Amino acid sequence: MTLLSRSITVIGGLLLAHACYSAREHSALQSLRTATTATLTSSPAAAASLPVDIKLETVISTFIILLGLVLGTRPLRPIEWRVWAGKIEREGEEGFTDNAGAVDKDFMGNPFNVLESRPNFVDIRKQRKEFADWVQKGDAQKKH
Amino acid sequence: MAPSVLQSPVQLPPAAALSLSQQAPAILRNSPSTASSSPFGTLLSGSEKPEQWLQYENLILSCLRTGDDQAAHVCLGRLVARFGDDNERVQALRGLVKEAEAENNGALEDVLKEYDQILSENDTNIPVAKRRIALLRSMGRLSDATSALVQLLDFSPTDAEAWSELSDIYLSQGLYPQAVYAMEEVLVMAPNAWNVCSPTTALDLSPMLMQPSQIHARLGELQYMAATAPGVANGSYQKCMAEAVKRFSRSIELCDDYLRGYYGLKLVTKKLLEENAKPTKQTNESDFALPDTNTIERLNELATAKLSEIIRHSAANDRGWRGYSEAEVAAARELLADDASAAKR
Repeated sequence: MTLLSRSITVIGGLLLAHACYSAREHSALQSLRTATTATLTSSPAAAASLPVDIKLETVISTFIILLGLVLGTRPLRPIEWRVWAGKIEREGEEGFTDNAGAVDKDFMGNPFNVLESRPNFVDIRKQRKEFADWVQKGDAQKKH
Repeated sequence: MAPSVLQSPVQLPPAAALSLSQQAPAILRNSPSTASSSPFGTLLSGSEKPEQWLQYENLILSCLRTGDDQAAHVCLGRLVARFGDDNERVQALRGLVKEAEAENNGALEDVLKEYDQILSENDTNIPVAKRRIALLRSMGRLSDATSALVQLLDFSPTDAEAWSELSDIYLSQGLYPQAVYAMEEVLVMAPNAWNVCSPTTALDLSPMLMQPSQIHARLGELQYMAATAPGVANGSYQKCMAEAVKRFSRSIELCDDYLRGYYGLKLVTKKLLEENAKPTKQTNESDFALPDTNTIERLNELATAKLSEIIRHSAANDRGWRGYSEAEVAAARELLADDASAAKR
């Protein structure tokens, strides 16, 4: 979650909390008033409805929270096979990071790479030799 | 960015393998040395993750490659402690470590005997059977390896990895039709694998496409000439070429901006356009008829445009175009440069 989306969500949350508090205060006041008027005049209770500004604040703060959450979601993944495959080939690991920049845990590159690398058939002696050659080459280059 | 320990390290370049195996001590230190399977143990140490064991397996591979045998033994020890001595995968890994440490042919023979011993007790032990085949191939006994592999495929015909290995063995011996056949079996198992589509035909055209690390070598093109030029009848040659066009197109269809697919398409269409003087003989098998010249030209143009786009973007190191390997991009650049110089002449 980026800072922007998080701060928007927090602002929305504060507004919502404020709206709830106002509504509670208003209803408390309302019931107190009806109680006192009832004892004095015994007239029918006024309709207990919230003022428009509290209602508006509730709705708007909900939408602000929604906006913050939506901004904070990770980019959607492609659902078409060729687009998804192209993304793997073109962007590599970079295309599969979350907003913080860490590579997704389930990212494994091209899932069919196994058919070419064939880890169960690995020729370890050849790999060792190639690695040793590579090291030697690096050393020789350093000396020159 | 450092490669992840969770991915198979077999195809990584040496520098990446080195950085992986240098992570080994830290990983070994950070994870608990014993994994107990008793309920109290899991209560205390938290539940074990399957990734951890995968990590150990991959670490063994990269440590053996870089010669860090000690770390490999520690990893192996932990796997043995968790899964027991007679787990099939652990047996294969132990064999792998022994293979890597074998000094001479005698030691390798001993390892081979050990594999035979394990297989005689349980001949459905697939990891060990695969190791045995790999060892035979590594020792240069190709025909033994082939027959063992065919035997393995006999009772496990849905093993795409084994089919792919078989194709590779045939390819290394120059048996192109057999290699193509085995690759087609892989394709049956994994019809959406965009990287398999192109090698299927790359086999009879340019084996360099099989190995991205070697793609920059011009050797492949020479092999491709040798494979197609002498003693190949006109009909089957055309069949191969048409099939090649089809396969490369399919791999592009499966994967947007696929460098290897466009590279192969470019290579084939270029070749076809060059020898276009030859009249296209209509064969009975209409399946394998080549598309007409117009189509081929348009395919060629498309491949050229796409390749130059890819080259431009990765030369500028644009965001979202950094997934291609440098060697492959260099090879594509070379191909296009060739084309341009040919057009000038």
